[in-house]
Amino acid sequence: MAMRARQKIRAPRRGVNTNKAHDFDTYWDALSSSLKKIHTKDASHLSFEQLYRNAYNIVLMTRGDDLYERVKRLEQEWLETEVRNRVNSAISSVLLQTKDLSEMQDQANERRETGEKFLDVLREVWEDHQVCMGMITDVLMYMDRVILSDHKKPSIYVASMALFRDFVLRAVARSDSELKVIDVLESTILFMIQLERSGQIINRQLIRHCIYMLEGLYETITEEESSKLYLAVFEPAFLDTSRAFYRAEGQRLLETGDAATFCKAASDRIAEEAERCLSTLSPLSEPKIKEVLDTELISKNIADVINLEGTGVKYMLDNDRLDVLRNVYVLSARVDTKKTPLTAAVQKRIVEMGQDINKAAIALAQAAPAKPEKPAGGEKKPAAKEKPVNQQTESAIKWVDDVLNLKNKFDKIWEQSFQSDPNMQSAITTSFSQFINSNARSSEYLSLFFDENLKKGIKGKTESEVDALLDNGITLLRYVRDKDLFEAYYKKHLSRRLLMKRSVSNDTERQMISKMKMEVGNQFTQRLEAMFRDMTISEDLTAGYKEHIQKSTSPDEKHPDLEINVLTSTMWPMETMSSLKGDSAQLSCTFPKEIEHVKQSFEQFYLSKHTGRKLSWQPSMGTADIRATFHRSTGKVSRHELNVSTYAMIILLLFNDVAPGESLTYEEIQAQTRIPDHDLIRNLQSLAVAPKTRVLKKDPMSKDVKPTDRFFFNNDFQSAYMKVRIGVVSGSSNKVENQDQRKQTEKRMNDERGASIEAAIVRIMKQRKTLIHSNLMSEVLSQLSSRFVPDVNMIKRRIESLIDREYLERVEEDPPTYGYVA
Amino acid sequence: MADHVLRKDQLEISLHNEKKLIKEGTIKDDNPLDLSEPFRELCDACRKGDLKVCQEKITEGVNINARDPYDYTPLILASLCGHYEVAQLLLESGALCERDTFQGERCLYNALNDRIRNLLLEYDYSKSTDPLQPLAAHISSLLTRDHPGTSDIVVTAEEESLYLHKFILTARSPYFRNKLSIAPDTSTWKLPSTIPPQAFNAAIKYLYFGEAPRDLRSGPGTGFTESEVFAGIDRIAQHLEIQGLVDSILESGDRRLARQRRAIELAKGRDQLEEWFRTNIIHHKIVMETSNADDIKWSRDNPIFADVLLQADELPDDTETLQQASGTNTGSGERAQKSVLFPCHRAMLLRSEFFHTMFASSFREAHLQEHLHIINVDCSPDVLEIILKFLYTERADFPLDIAVDVLFAADMLFIEKLKTKAAVVISTLGSGNMSQAEAAKTRGTKEEDDLDIYAIIRAAWMTRVQRLEEFAARYLAYRLESHIDSPEFAELIQESASRIQGRQETDSIELLDDIRFYLGERFRLRFDDAGLEEMMDGEPQQQANQIETADGDIEKTIQGVEAIDLAEQNHGEQLEHGHSAEKSQKTPEHGSAIRTLNGELVMDEFDQDEMNYQILMDKLDNILEGLNLEA
Repeated sequence: MAMRARQKIRAPRRGVNTNKAHDFDTYWDALSSSLKKIHTKDASHLSFEQLYRNAYNIVLMTRGDDLYERVKRLEQEWLETEVRNRVNSAISSVLLQTKDLSEMQDQANERRETGEKFLDVLREVWEDHQVCMGMITDVLMYMDRVILSDHKKPSIYVASMALFRDFVLRAVARSDSELKVIDVLESTILFMIQLERSGQIINRQLIRHCIYMLEGLYETITEEESSKLYLAVFEPAFLDTSRAFYRAEGQRLLETGDAATFCKAASDRIAEEAERCLSTLSPLSEPKIKEVLDTELISKNIADVINLEGTGVKYMLDNDRLDVLRNVYVLSARVDTKKTPLTAAVQKRIVEMGQDINKAAIALAQAAPAKPEKPAGGEKKPAAKEKPVNQQTESAIKWVDDVLNLKNKFDKIWEQSFQSDPNMQSAITTSFSQFINSNARSSEYLSLFFDENLKKGIKGKTESEVDALLDNGITLLRYVRDKDLFEAYYKKHLSRRLLMKRSVSNDTERQMISKMKMEVGNQFTQRLEAMFRDMTISEDLTAGYKEHIQKSTSPDEKHPDLEINVLTSTMWPMETMSSLKGDSAQLSCTFPKEIEHVKQSFEQFYLSKHTGRKLSWQPSMGTADIRATFHRSTGKVSRHELNVSTYAMIILLLFNDVAPGESLTYEEIQAQTRIPDHDLIRNLQSLAVAPKTRVLKKDPMSKDVKPTDRFFFNNDFQSAYMKVRIGVVSGSSNKVENQDQRKQTEKRMNDERGASIEAAIVRIMKQRKTLIHSNLMSEVLSQLSSRFVPDVNMIKRRIESLIDREYLERVEEDPPTYGYVA
Repeated sequence: MADHVLRKDQLEISLHNEKKLIKEGTIKDDNPLDLSEPFRELCDACRKGDLKVCQEKITEGVNINARDPYDYTPLILASLCGHYEVAQLLLESGALCERDTFQGERCLYNALNDRIRNLLLEYDYSKSTDPLQPLAAHISSLLTRDHPGTSDIVVTAEEESLYLHKFILTARSPYFRNKLSIAPDTSTWKLPSTIPPQAFNAAIKYLYFGEAPRDLRSGPGTGFTESEVFAGIDRIAQHLEIQGLVDSILESGDRRLARQRRAIELAKGRDQLEEWFRTNIIHHKIVMETSNADDIKWSRDNPIFADVLLQADELPDDTETLQQASGTNTGSGERAQKSVLFPCHRAMLLRSEFFHTMFASSFREAHLQEHLHIINVDCSPDVLEIILKFLYTERADFPLDIAVDVLFAADMLFIEKLKTKAAVVISTLGSGNMSQAEAAKTRGTKEEDDLDIYAIIRAAWMTRVQRLEEFAARYLAYRLESHIDSPEFAELIQESASRIQGRQETDSIELLDDIRFYLGERFRLRFDDAGLEEMMDGEPQQQANQIETADGDIEKTIQGVEAIDLAEQNHGEQLEHGHSAEKSQKTPEHGSAIRTLNGELVMDEFDQDEMNYQILMDKLDNILEGLNLEA
């Protein structure tokens, strides 16, 4: 057993070196001649196994390090002689000039040709080197493994790449020059790129291969990513030349003075450089060259481009150059997330255009009243008087339309050119609200716009069209700062529409309310909704009353039918409805007997349902249908149904008791009816002066109504229609207020605002107990901002007033602080 | 992270569940009860940490994942008793330590120390896999590898073409075997359009050791419904006589089941390859005189589809001519040198990086010619056969006497796994530490003589196998007294020092440091053993306990003997006591013998150890001085 065991483990047969040392040269000779063959591309008959075995044996005799060094030396020799000669012979003297490109236009062609030749040789040499070293590395894989296990030396492949870098690229290009091959390479590639930038076709593939080489070589032996020759040497040079080029390019383009051209060129350059990085250079450079473009070409010039006279953003906006605007936007967005210059230019233009619209509206409104002055006096006057009023309304509606058009224009630009950028949107919104609010009448105009559309405009339109129309209006409402003012006007206009039954569609009205509710809030529409509620309740009431009358009286008895609207006085704009000036107490007029009877019967009916309420009658707001019989002088009798105002009805009923041919004087009429002068005059005018509705005759036949005038029933009244509507002169349709009315409205508005402010102050103070002045101000402002923008002085005055009335007290002086007095 | 050890109650629950599943037959028992004698021996070896016996038993084919009557698996025993090397060997040989199984968790739970626990975690199934996995992965990769090209038959199905290998098809499918034996030079094959290409794909993947597909690539866009594809697979499986395919697809759902299934499939596949290897490649190997080897012409169209010939030359006894032997006709002076040629397949040789580089390069070997290339491999035919067997079948069973040759060849050919394997064989069969040395003594063999440890350590240096260097250092440390005075040892130290100087590190000599380390371990070992003994007292395993105790005793005795041996060399006057100690070894009452010895020479056994340790350390320093080395 012991004998067998002895053979069990044998010494490794290729024991240690001792007697093999002399073989090193034998192996190396065989190996080195083969390696040379590999370089001369004569390797296909070489046996991998034999070469490997040679190297393996050398390593086994612990001469691996020697082998490594010998191979390195062999490579170096090869590179220094054969390869370098090839490369150097391809360098022509043109390539050695590193002068500025523009100075050597004449030599461009020559340089280009020799440059391509040079790059081609270099590429070839590099690729050969890679292939050969790949093969050599394969053969030496055992050596590599042993060497690498120490982590002291790089693999032979890496080492040979470093040799290539040092003995080919870093070699002097020609004996008569300081330049190295890599400098020539760099300048040649940059030259090619400049050629391409100036529009010529170059051999991209060739350059790409040379770039591959630079990417495959490293400054250091450890081959960190950042030490690639491409990144360390070529890229900085490339970026420098690019920077200079684009600085000049920016200047040049700016001098051409056309913004569109600039943007087009810049966009093209950006695409071109990206493309270049992908196809010719390295994708690694893309972000960097982008940055160069952004700073040199865009950042430095974009503001100038935007503000270019005649072709800048102003011109583009005016002419709807959406595509160019998009370019401008894209370029701006690259360098500045806020796009400051572009935003400023757009905002400026919006405000300018908006001011133009404002001016046009005012001009139209003012031009109108000038006209009627010319056809002075005469019967034409009432008719002529309608005209300026309508024109004013028209101007209001035109204003709204113009603003909406402007809005649409910019919406389109925003969407298509500004890529729906939220920053741009808010800038545009700000500008719109700026110019809209700079027009003091915007609220009124807007309300009129709605009024007009709800009365007439929506006839014959489909639901979606109406919807779009209302939405447009609502969009403008968003810009209006003083929403309370708008509310006041809207209420006024709405009450007229409701009472006069001028609305085209109740549904649309309600739709409008709900839209406003969504846009502005619940509080805003509360009163408007109450108005609608009153209208429906009144309908029921009328019906209920009719039923009541039918039950309580015999059907034979003739009663005038009554249709009644009971309005809650706080919800309806009473002041604006009655034509009376607010301060003079309103005396109720005397109704004719039949009417008085109906009135009392209704009051009874109503108060039996709702106790503790007071009904006050508004004859100025009502209308009546009366059947009138005209006894013609020819003996014929013709009947007409007259639709007149309540006052007119009272007046006409007086003539029932007047014998034919008899007359009543103005004073008589007034004494019997106690209709306020103002209303009486207007009603008499419409009954006796208006040419088509002359139910009464007046003596003398003048336009004005004087207390001494006499009135006759006109039995010769003629009309083509059975039903005749006799409107009251003025005051029945919604139109732009005149200066006096405006002042009144404003005054009312201020009172109302004062109340709102006080309410807000008290609400806040009640909650906070004590508060510093500035904080109180800001809270009040924020609370009220949805309705209107309060005047700071007004708030101060309100605070003073509240202190006077002992709601608040001053707690401290510095900083000024208020306390709430419970 | 899943590397927290489960609590004991969780363990018990999982044991219960697992038992239930096994009873129901849902899963196969990973750890079947094994009461055979060889298994019992393996368990004992694991308790004692006897690497050699472990290795022998594993090579014999004992199931290392079985369990004994007390539910212990060898791995649990090794990890419980703290034998790191044994545990490592078991894991490398395929012992399971899978998280989520009772036995796996138990190994972790019982690990004596963190070092072993981390080792076990490292080998968790998720990271290491079936030992056959590398082979399977290679063969699967052949389907997608296009450079260097190794395919010799193209199967087209609709527009898709599969580039396949005849030898794999014949080895794996009886259908193809018949088909190709009739027409071996077929190079294209068109798939009948009735078979869904997906089904054929699945079958090919299966033949190429691929994992069972989770998704049959059916449904919209493929032109076939799932059931059609499945039916196709069923049909094709019958056609190609590969029933396993259908089963593996059906069972791919459950992770554990799939793993077991796959392990079985891989083993089966490997057996098929091995069978094929044996009946074709080995069968067709050509033995001839080296000088005539070049005349061998094999055509591309050969019945075993070989595409390359490997040549290995017999070694003449004279090492002088070895270097040239692999060449053409040198060294065949007086008696003709024999060579053996193996017909092989590049597809399999690619597993060696050497061959891969060779076939991927543009050298001569990579060009296809009319006749097969003959490639010399610089090793003996026996070694080449072992290498080929490993490449084809993942089997690496070889005797110790050529282990070093295999090591060198594997190193040359860049076959890391085989290299490791060779290192394992050397470092386990050649005994390492004391307990083994002395275990060997109890077996009555003298292993120190079997091994040229100097040659081993040089081989370790040359092939850069850390494990082997450590082994040699340990080996030397435990037998230092018999080597320390030989000039060869001094030479070795000198060599080690020069290796280091070559690397420009003057401050340490690796070998010496290692020896010192293991020397420390050797003399400390006694305390560890003593401690372990106490722990083992609590074990119900009486048998093991007795062996341990006996072991411990013997060990003490032997150390005593060694101390005397040293003393003998150092101090002549202690000779007598040495003899008396040797005698005392044979007396049954060990305890009293030691006491006698101690009484005479030293205060107690600790002092004795210390003295021995000191002597050896001094000697090492002396050697250094003699060699003029600083360390």
